[in-house]
Amino acid sequence: MRIVVCVKEVLDPDAVNNYAVAGRLEIGADGKTITQSAVPRLMNGYDEQAIEAALRLRDAGADFTLAVVSVGSDPDKMLKHAAALGAEEVVSIPADPAELDPHGVATLLASWIESSGGADILLCGRQASDDDQGVVPALMGERLDMPVVSVARAVELADETLRVTRVTPEGDEVVEVACPAVVTISNEIGDPRYPAAAAKVKARRVKPAVVSPEDLNLGEADLQPRVMLTRQFVPEVQGNCEFLEGEPAQVADQLIARLKADSIL
Amino acid sequence: MSDNAIVVCTWSAGRDGLPEGCEEILHIGRGLAAAMGTELNWLALGPLAASAGEIAGRYGVAHLHHAEDAKLDPAGADACVAAIAAYAETHAPGALLVHQTLDARVVAPRVAGRLGRAVVMNGISIEAVGENVQVTASAYGGDTRAVYEVGGGSVLSFIANAAVPEPAEGAALTAESVSLDLSGVEERVRVVEPARFEGPRLDDADIIVSGGRGLGSADNYKLIEELAGALGGQAGASRPLVDDGWVDSSHQVGLTGRITRPNLYVAIGISGASQHMAGCSAAGTIVAINRDAEAAIFQYARYGICGDALEILPELIRAAGAR
Repeated sequence: MRIVVCVKEVLDPDAVNNYAVAGRLEIGADGKTITQSAVPRLMNGYDEQAIEAALRLRDAGADFTLAVVSVGSDPDKMLKHAAALGAEEVVSIPADPAELDPHGVATLLASWIESSGGADILLCGRQASDDDQGVVPALMGERLDMPVVSVARAVELADETLRVTRVTPEGDEVVEVACPAVVTISNEIGDPRYPAAAAKVKARRVKPAVVSPEDLNLGEADLQPRVMLTRQFVPEVQGNCEFLEGEPAQVADQLIARLKADSIL
Repeated sequence: MSDNAIVVCTWSAGRDGLPEGCEEILHIGRGLAAAMGTELNWLALGPLAASAGEIAGRYGVAHLHHAEDAKLDPAGADACVAAIAAYAETHAPGALLVHQTLDARVVAPRVAGRLGRAVVMNGISIEAVGENVQVTASAYGGDTRAVYEVGGGSVLSFIANAAVPEPAEGAALTAESVSLDLSGVEERVRVVEPARFEGPRLDDADIIVSGGRGLGSADNYKLIEELAGALGGQAGASRPLVDDGWVDSSHQVGLTGRITRPNLYVAIGISGASQHMAGCSAAGTIVAINRDAEAAIFQYARYGICGDALEILPELIRAAGAR
């Protein structure tokens, strides 16, 4: 059995959030790219949790090889981290993310999966914390003719059948699906583990395999974007907050009185 | 029937029998159809709500297309994708619009994948730019807006986080049956334990009191529940509380939780990260209680109290109970 996890490098969403709420997020001259050099780049948190989901399957006794693949400009650090965690295969598909849309990314990933032995389980984060689109897993599901199960908080495997606990607004739902299948992992799965120190040292020497679009017989026409990002901006927030002051009992009474006067209560 | 119509797609009924968010997405569709000089159609899959024809009339829908099939009742993802793709192939819509539910997050990109069309999620607004459309979508957990340009026939999903103006009167429509061949569809994902939550949902709440990390410990969340009870509302939470297991995920307000629109939203010990605000910024009135006077939440709030939530909460519970 082979499990493939797709990972993406993103700008640290917490750092972006800090700059945004402080009103200091910088969008570059192109009008669409966040240019702050102080914002670190790291593995999308949900993707890290997708690796964690694979490792939990391994903890539970599943026998598989784990391949971790990334499309992007500089994935080596992420892929070495994946190797330290136990990925037997780490693969980089170099591309400029700004030139690709989700179809392009899904085409590259799905073509590589098909050409490299396929996937019995394809795990992805529920969405990337930069654009929040979360469509690549479903696009790959269509390309590879695999069903897609989203927002998993737990994944179990028994006899080529996946049992997935999904997080829904109505509470947890449990579904079953036969492999091969795509499963997207949600934050509810919990914190991903850290690699052991010795594994980290060993992984420093790992060189990710590099696969180009040409290696996959994909040309410009195959990767032509259908979705073009034209602009990005920070939305304005209305600030008219009235601060209530005094002792706790006083502010509590004031607040209830205001809300009643405004006919909200 | 015209090609290039803007088509709103709905499936599965919400609690009131109507598909969740159908008025919000019809409102968006109506605006786009007018801007592009084309008609607005509604593709309803599965059992049709009794009021669908009347609602279609009020939002200026030209054709209410209804597809019925045992495989659409209830509609599994494979049947939905097959039905919408089959419809798109025969009707050549100018755009397919959906309201973003959890199911839509999978169905919309799968339809786009099957049709080889563009897809944009998290849409907030849309405008016509010649033959193309530009969708303004939430990105970075609400910190930024990304404007995407796409061509005709795209699949576009919108999050309803603004109030919909009362639509005009209009004559009720009679549904027109469309037949979509689903004979080859076999659902590949089987629900073995359905979600069982049957209590009131945050989405429907008029008043929400939400707690965040500023509460200090899981035990203090009961004060949030008490205040929510005293105000006749429901208790919500920010994502860190759900991640840390203080409350279950049905309480999570935010982009990865529930998108809510209460009249009153009381945020206690919540910093106001965009991820959270995406789930409550459409509230009529926001009240914030936070120890940090610089917290982003005060930028959104109408009334703010800067102080210790644990000192203020008992007093608020008292004052709310005495009103």
